[in-house]
Amino acid sequence: MKEWIEYPDGWIWLGQVLLAIAVVIGVVYVLRLGWRAASAFLATRPALDRPLGLTGGVIAVVGALLPWVTFRLNDGPYPDKATLQFFDAPFALSGFRLHTLVLGVLAIVVLFLPLPRRRVLRALGLGAIGIALVNILFPVIDGGGLGAITSDGENFAFGGIATLVAGLLLLFAAKTGGVLEPVPHWKSAVPRLVAYAVLVISFVVLLLVVAMMLNAGGQGGVGNPYAGPIFLSLLAFLAGVLGALQAIGLTTWISALSDQHKWFSVVVLLLVALGLPFTEAGTDYWMTTAANIGVYAATAIGLNIVVGLAGLLDLGYVAFLGIGAFVAANFSGAAAAAFDIELPFVVAAIIAAVVAGIFGAVVGSPTLRVRGDYLAIVTLAFGEIFKKAAQNNIGDLTGGANAIPNVPPINWFGQSFDKPLTIGSVELPSGVLYYVLIIVLVALVMVVFANLKNSRIGRAWIAIREDEDAARAMGIKTGQAKILAFLIGATLAGLAGAVFAHKTSTVAYDSFQFIESVTLLAAVILGGMGSIPGAVLGAALLLVLPEKLREFSDYRLMLFGLALVLIMRFRPQGLVPDRHRRAELADEGADGVPIEELNVHDTPGDEKAVTR
Amino acid sequence: MSAPPVLAANSVSMVFGGLTALSNVSLRLQEGQILGLIGPNGAGKTTFFNCLTGLYSPTTGNVQLRGKVLPTDPAAVTVAGVARTFQNIRLFPSMTSLENVLVGRHARMKQGPLASLFHGPAYQRGERDARDRALELLEFVGLGKAHDELARNLPYGDQRRLEIARALATDPKVLLLDEPTAGMNPQETEATRQLIFAIRETGVAVVVIEHDTKFIFSLCDHVSVLVQGQLLVEGTPEVVRADPRVIEAYLGKPPDEVEAEVRQYAEEVAHGGPEATQVIQPVRDQDGHEGGKR
Repeated sequence: MKEWIEYPDGWIWLGQVLLAIAVVIGVVYVLRLGWRAASAFLATRPALDRPLGLTGGVIAVVGALLPWVTFRLNDGPYPDKATLQFFDAPFALSGFRLHTLVLGVLAIVVLFLPLPRRRVLRALGLGAIGIALVNILFPVIDGGGLGAITSDGENFAFGGIATLVAGLLLLFAAKTGGVLEPVPHWKSAVPRLVAYAVLVISFVVLLLVVAMMLNAGGQGGVGNPYAGPIFLSLLAFLAGVLGALQAIGLTTWISALSDQHKWFSVVVLLLVALGLPFTEAGTDYWMTTAANIGVYAATAIGLNIVVGLAGLLDLGYVAFLGIGAFVAANFSGAAAAAFDIELPFVVAAIIAAVVAGIFGAVVGSPTLRVRGDYLAIVTLAFGEIFKKAAQNNIGDLTGGANAIPNVPPINWFGQSFDKPLTIGSVELPSGVLYYVLIIVLVALVMVVFANLKNSRIGRAWIAIREDEDAARAMGIKTGQAKILAFLIGATLAGLAGAVFAHKTSTVAYDSFQFIESVTLLAAVILGGMGSIPGAVLGAALLLVLPEKLREFSDYRLMLFGLALVLIMRFRPQGLVPDRHRRAELADEGADGVPIEELNVHDTPGDEKAVTR
Repeated sequence: MSAPPVLAANSVSMVFGGLTALSNVSLRLQEGQILGLIGPNGAGKTTFFNCLTGLYSPTTGNVQLRGKVLPTDPAAVTVAGVARTFQNIRLFPSMTSLENVLVGRHARMKQGPLASLFHGPAYQRGERDARDRALELLEFVGLGKAHDELARNLPYGDQRRLEIARALATDPKVLLLDEPTAGMNPQETEATRQLIFAIRETGVAVVVIEHDTKFIFSLCDHVSVLVQGQLLVEGTPEVVRADPRVIEAYLGKPPDEVEAEVRQYAEEVAHGGPEATQVIQPVRDQDGHEGGKR
């Protein structure tokens, strides 16, 4: 990749950065003004929705069929069939151009259906803009110059720009009349079999989408040098489609159904997760990554008890994962272990969980007298104490800088967990058994979380989070409840740590640093505090996104940070918010519109019926 | 009054630094009684409530429930049987009405962490009973239909009633209501009055703090007047209402009367009368002690 900023020392660089910031602020400001003027204009013209939507849809379709890039980039053709000419092979579209086509066609179709079309158009428009931006910016920056996406004298390529315009038109269409339609409320009382069928189909589709995402553009930059942009562009497409489904009330309906048939959903979800190795994502690489995600997801759900339910900010939580890992490693029979015994994994895992739980309670007790910021500092200090202690090999338990290497893999019934598994004629990749183990672990942790949340204890935690004094006035012994939250959260982390020790085979202090605690916290907040699917999704995003963005090497963390900032700005309640948090933080609509400007429909049980 | 009181405050004093918020306040609440506590802003009513519920530990004196001294821990006081509502509503805003009341059941439920984890049959039974009781209480305060509504979305008056239901869920012997009708319109105030009568019918003794004297006099069996941290007058509503000191403390003196006193004072000074010093000391409510809420 070409570097668009060379890194000279000092002032030049600083000047460039400041200039770039100034330009971005200026552009955003001008765009904002334009957008406001357009919204005001369109608010009084509700009849423009169809013409604008139709134009936008048609332009998106045309944009999909136009060439997008004028030449081949250095690392190979970008994107797939980038220079495909107008209509010379309309059915050969693939990748993001196919996605653009789909968005365009959907936009046209929805105009003629009895659906809340403005909401749908808004989602589709945002998706199209996302696709266009990713695939415009990448060739411009990587291939050099605007010529790449317009014309270089011989060839022309206006696909990206056409799609961008189409996306804007769709957004404008959504602005006509100034009011979005309410999200329709689907009847959730359906026959059991229908509900089951819907749930199975949704979860299988979910599985396929996940597999598609993991495989977009190859694995970890090996398959395709453009894996990064391809992945981002796919995300934009999926976000657009998901937004449209949400706009017509489908996702709300499905989640209502899955709430109704909780146990069925859990079982199906478990089976579907176990089906992942059989899809195209069933490779060594993704099994390992998915297992890593699983460990973090289980830990994040544990943290969710402390932070999401009880409202206690814990900045040193990864220490409990570390304690679990070191305990398990020491009982694993590894050469460097402090104890010369090899306990069966299950026994070692239970010991690890118990020890971590005890530490959780110990850390929890002095924190009873501190609240808020002070609590965060105390937990931060604990995390650092743990790291330093492990680094200095206190009590010869951690191996210090040498770590504890060569922790043997789990071995059940003669099958080592790090070897491929052959069932009949099907050979599954190595790492698949760890994946299965961790899926089961995550399922277990989910059940623990869900049961606690809907119990006397869980209600006490939420009450403490909401108003500690009122909780005490209700007879809740807040001290005990808080220690219990720390204890259970730490126990779950310890359990995950035991799996982690065997899976990674080396347990070193530097796997448990402050940044890991922050990542876990980010997973919880990003996914939606107090929500289980949220924690899993958050953990998945935080681990998959950096993998997928390897392409952008130097800018990877910057993009990642930017993504977090944007999500928090536009969706503070998290991606899959818990019902409580949604109510609390939905004061600002998805567009950041203050609550006073929103006209909330007064229908009980339908918090989503918000229009502007 | 020969019957032993259900709640007794014995010479409760509360000193914050150099400020004496309460001095030697005593109070006796009989079984089945509705007791009103009135007084101007800053008189120490809420401080007194906080002493009764264990939020503050009194500098001297103690509080007894049926002859037993109450601990100074809010949770333990609630377990012992004294429940309260707050002057500024303190519900759990993002829980539903039902969940709020279920939190109130906390102290009366037995399930420990393990039961909460495994949801066994005994747990399920306990949870079902708690739900039934909570729904019953919501019905009782007139929120039966709103059980699935988030507390934050309830209208103001309903939030006050939900707070009462939540307090009742702790199975109290004594219920302390801190300004239950603040901000209510006349219809809602009347509904609250009927609700408090109904609560008394269930055998719960009630203490009410209010500013609305008309409300208090039409509700309570017994009224205590707190002024500047001291118990000024107590007795039946008729007695209290007729007491000139109460009128003076609560309303200040009528302007013409004050004027007359000033004139008289001036005359006395002019005539060299030294005993005039005691005359003018109206305790002002609105203009004198504003913002004195604790």
